[in-house]
Amino acid sequence: MSTSAYLPHIEEITLSEMLPRVFVGESIPNSAVWLTNLTFRRGKNYLVEAPSGGGKSSLMSYLYGNRRDFKGKLLFNGVDTAALRLPDWQEIRRRHIAYLPQDLSLFPELTAIDNIKLKNSLTDHLDMQRIMEWMRRLGIDTRADYPARKMSIGQQQRLAIIRALAMPFDFLILDEPVSHLDSANNLIAAEIIAEEVARQGAAVISTSVGNPILLHSAINIKL
Amino acid sequence: MKYPLVSRLLRRNTSTARIAGFILSNFIGLTIVAGALQFYNDARSLWHEEDSFVRSDYLVVNKKVTSVHTLDLSANDFTPEDIADIEAQPWVRSVGEFKKAAFRVNTHVGFADIERHGRGNPSRSSGTLSTAMFFEAVPDSFLDIPLHEWHWTPESPEVPVVISKDYLALYNFGFAAAAGLPQLSGTTVSGIPLALELTSEDGSKRLTLNGRVAAYSKRFNTILVPETFIDYMNEELTDGQHSADTVAQNPSRLIIDVSSPGDTAIGPWLEQHNLEVAGDKSASSAAYLLKIIVTIVVSIGSVISLLSLFILMLSISLLMEKNRSKLHSLLMLGYNPDDVATPYWNIITISCCGATLMSAAAIAIMRAFYLTPLKALGAEGGTFWTTILTLAIMAALIIGLNFLSVYRRVISTWR
Repeated sequence: MSTSAYLPHIEEITLSEMLPRVFVGESIPNSAVWLTNLTFRRGKNYLVEAPSGGGKSSLMSYLYGNRRDFKGKLLFNGVDTAALRLPDWQEIRRRHIAYLPQDLSLFPELTAIDNIKLKNSLTDHLDMQRIMEWMRRLGIDTRADYPARKMSIGQQQRLAIIRALAMPFDFLILDEPVSHLDSANNLIAAEIIAEEVARQGAAVISTSVGNPILLHSAINIKL
Repeated sequence: MKYPLVSRLLRRNTSTARIAGFILSNFIGLTIVAGALQFYNDARSLWHEEDSFVRSDYLVVNKKVTSVHTLDLSANDFTPEDIADIEAQPWVRSVGEFKKAAFRVNTHVGFADIERHGRGNPSRSSGTLSTAMFFEAVPDSFLDIPLHEWHWTPESPEVPVVISKDYLALYNFGFAAAAGLPQLSGTTVSGIPLALELTSEDGSKRLTLNGRVAAYSKRFNTILVPETFIDYMNEELTDGQHSADTVAQNPSRLIIDVSSPGDTAIGPWLEQHNLEVAGDKSASSAAYLLKIIVTIVVSIGSVISLLSLFILMLSISLLMEKNRSKLHSLLMLGYNPDDVATPYWNIITISCCGATLMSAAAIAIMRAFYLTPLKALGAEGGTFWTTILTLAIMAALIIGLNFLSVYRRVISTWR
């Protein structure tokens, strides 16, 4: 299996009878995700809502190839991902699926700007001007040369959002992206994300436990 | 560097002390191993100096002469069955026969009077010293004399001769001393022209040729000439009868190319088959001792090198364990495992090459000190390639194994 099967784009991601192994044997009432057939399409905007412990982060990890502890199938463009090998996933992570993990996974010892550059240097997707503009809009431009560990959790979240956008992508996976943001910053973040997603013709799959990112016309999915 | 930020990120927590510890222990291990091998190579010729044209793993054997054999001359010869038996031994690579001359030889000191009488005519040499001699030959492949020196054709002006070192000693310390004649060095004798007078067994044919002593041997207790010379003259002086007489061609001595000279099976086997080994055994036992000592030293050096390999592996592993979450995050960003492994590979390569270069320098310095006294003892000295090759192989092994372990560790953090 080669990634060329997905070039130039991953148009759809399909979950077929998928269920996290930890849920096997438990009753799954009214889930729109687990043990069904669900397809995410490029160009759409999805919001996955669920109570804590519903398996949101697990789902995001599955989509990013980070974990495979599920039953059923995950298909990209109709092709089973079980056959994908490490280099294929790395190519997907550089060019097809962008991911903002819940724990942000920033490098605390690197400066804010270096954290972004670390991701951006893989594809040189963004120029410095755009990075600085987004940092300014999100109010963290003055912290550009601060080590990430010295930033507040809210600032770190805004930094991680910009880093997630620093690559070409077909799907943008955001795991509780604005949990530490006030509504003003939530709106600015949503605006930047919407601009970039529109520019790339991509899809957004975001999760929330009650404080969703304020994107327009989201398709709600109850986990 | 492809991704400078990645190396900046991962180089943090690098323990200079641990890397220095590796470089030091690696340096010591490499120096001991390569230094010992270098010394062995440099000193080795000391024990083979007398016979430098004969490899040490040759044995010259003959059947033990007993009183019963004295009457039956052919009883000391090796039959084709005997030779096949020896060839079948596992420690034998090949067996060569000593070919005997089927003519008599008389040698004078001086030039043969070929110009006046022409080859093939009996002549008088201008010398006064004269002695009866005999010739033997072994296949050329068993001798390591440069081909142009150990080569004879009917057109050659001189016949190269190898004589036993013992003959020279006999002359110098026995005959010359008693007769009040000057003692002669090997090079002096090599410079003396010899007139060889060859006579067929029945006395009907005579030839006179020039000869020269080309080398001395401790191992060959005989007088050797090139095989082509024996073949040609046996034919020439017996009118071809010699080659027809196969019994006369049975050799009484054999030269054996031994595949493993240290094999303990060789001695008892020869003893059991009533065979004697010619040559100086003290030289070979000294060489054997040198080999044992070098083996021990090389083993110790190898153990130290092995430990240094583990020190490096351990410190890199520790460093990677500390950076485990960073490695995982980098792979999550889409970096390839070799992008992530590169900073560690660089540390390994630089420290290992540093230790290797230091080691090469140390051996070169050591060598400068011991080579002069060693050469004064008569050793020829080997080439520095011994060190270069040993170090290159060991460094490649250490670097290769560490590269592999780093790569596997990176992969292990992927999921």
